[in-house]
Amino acid sequence: MRLKLISCEVLYREMCAAVARSPHQVDIEFLPKGLHDLGGSSMRARLQEAADRVDPTQYEAVLLGYALCGNGVAGLVSHALPLVIPRAHDCIALLMGGRNRYQSYFENHPGVYFRSTGWLERGENLDQATLGVVRDKTGAGYTLEDLIARYGEDNGRYLFEQFNGYQRNYRQLAYIATGLEPDGSFEQRAREEATRRGWQFETIRGDLRLFERLVAGDWDESDFLVVPPGWRVKPTYDAGIIEKEQVP
Amino acid sequence: MSDLYEAILNGNAPAAAEAARKALEGGTAALELVQGHMVPAMDEVGRRFECEDYFVPELLLAARAMKAALALIRPHLASSGAQPAGRVVIGTVKGDLHDIGKNIVASMLEGGGFEITDLGADVAPEKFVDAVRAHRANLVCLSALLTVTMSSMKTTIEALTAAGLRGQAKIMVGGAPVTQRFADEIGADGYGENAAVAVALARKLVTAGAPA
Repeated sequence: MRLKLISCEVLYREMCAAVARSPHQVDIEFLPKGLHDLGGSSMRARLQEAADRVDPTQYEAVLLGYALCGNGVAGLVSHALPLVIPRAHDCIALLMGGRNRYQSYFENHPGVYFRSTGWLERGENLDQATLGVVRDKTGAGYTLEDLIARYGEDNGRYLFEQFNGYQRNYRQLAYIATGLEPDGSFEQRAREEATRRGWQFETIRGDLRLFERLVAGDWDESDFLVVPPGWRVKPTYDAGIIEKEQVP
Repeated sequence: MSDLYEAILNGNAPAAAEAARKALEGGTAALELVQGHMVPAMDEVGRRFECEDYFVPELLLAARAMKAALALIRPHLASSGAQPAGRVVIGTVKGDLHDIGKNIVASMLEGGGFEITDLGADVAPEKFVDAVRAHRANLVCLSALLTVTMSSMKTTIEALTAAGLRGQAKIMVGGAPVTQRFADEIGADGYGENAAVAVALARKLVTAGAPA
């Protein structure tokens, strides 16, 4: 098969490694990290545009290197080619190998912040247009200096506290080690970040099987949703995460 | 419009407090300051947010200015016997630690004349139940920022229903991944797409609901 993979760049290393071992020809388009910050409908528009650009005469399916991602894939329509999406809430669940492991970890570890190679090395890598919109809309990503320059000393400090105060609720940083890392430097960076923030640190072993199965065409219904042309993605907010529904 | 209105719109907390102080000293009734100046100011802030003239930082600063004024006005409101627009219990649902959106909504509702009990983030369903009882709340606001915690909204609503509190309190839900469709599915009474619409929605729900 010839498959087109549209993926968040936060999964760059994992997707490249999986594609290298796929029995199929998989062409990848990476989109900027952090689209979920734009909100569900804006993110969906970006993904829809990318999916609709794929030439149906050249490919047999469009694979999405995304999860539900704050409803960023909700409403995504299959027009000419089937869309294949892993059933997961977010990229952390993908990196952990599935939604069940993520769910149980999440429930037993309140206040965990996650890191992976992509989250570490692609930290500020949003394209400028996207970054500008996200910053202006949410205030996230501004430094204290930025905020003071824009809103004055007092209001700038207040906003910085408002945007970053939630971090007080976190207690732990978990680094997801996939085994693809060239050395221990990523884990070390994550460990240093945990120390800097005063959080506990843990390394969790990642699991790349969802990535491998996605690009291998092993789309078992329990772990993947295949959306045929004329159907779209609907979030279910239950254990299945997403389902397909016919476009009216 | 008035200095108070302008100060809130500009997110200028010291100016808002000063304007409120002067108005109170000049004999303006506390309720008139809220209804005639602060509520219209927050409505205008909401309008500007809707048309993307204002963004989250402006919303936060307007709410901050409003709270600065409200700190001076509130004692006068209480002594005049004015009733709050409603009694609200608000929190981010269990498992979810995000609180910026919830804080903005709480501030806007406070400025809109509501009495707020803010339970914070990662709030268990039974805590909502207890707080609604203890504060005789007639409105519950639930926030979630993660699709993985949206199911906690459902369990919270189920807990409020099981506790027999649905006749007493309306429930509104919001947060980035939350949709009207989801709100309908879990049986919420209202859904606010953003903080700007929260006050109008809250007023509507409280008016439609049982008397406080």
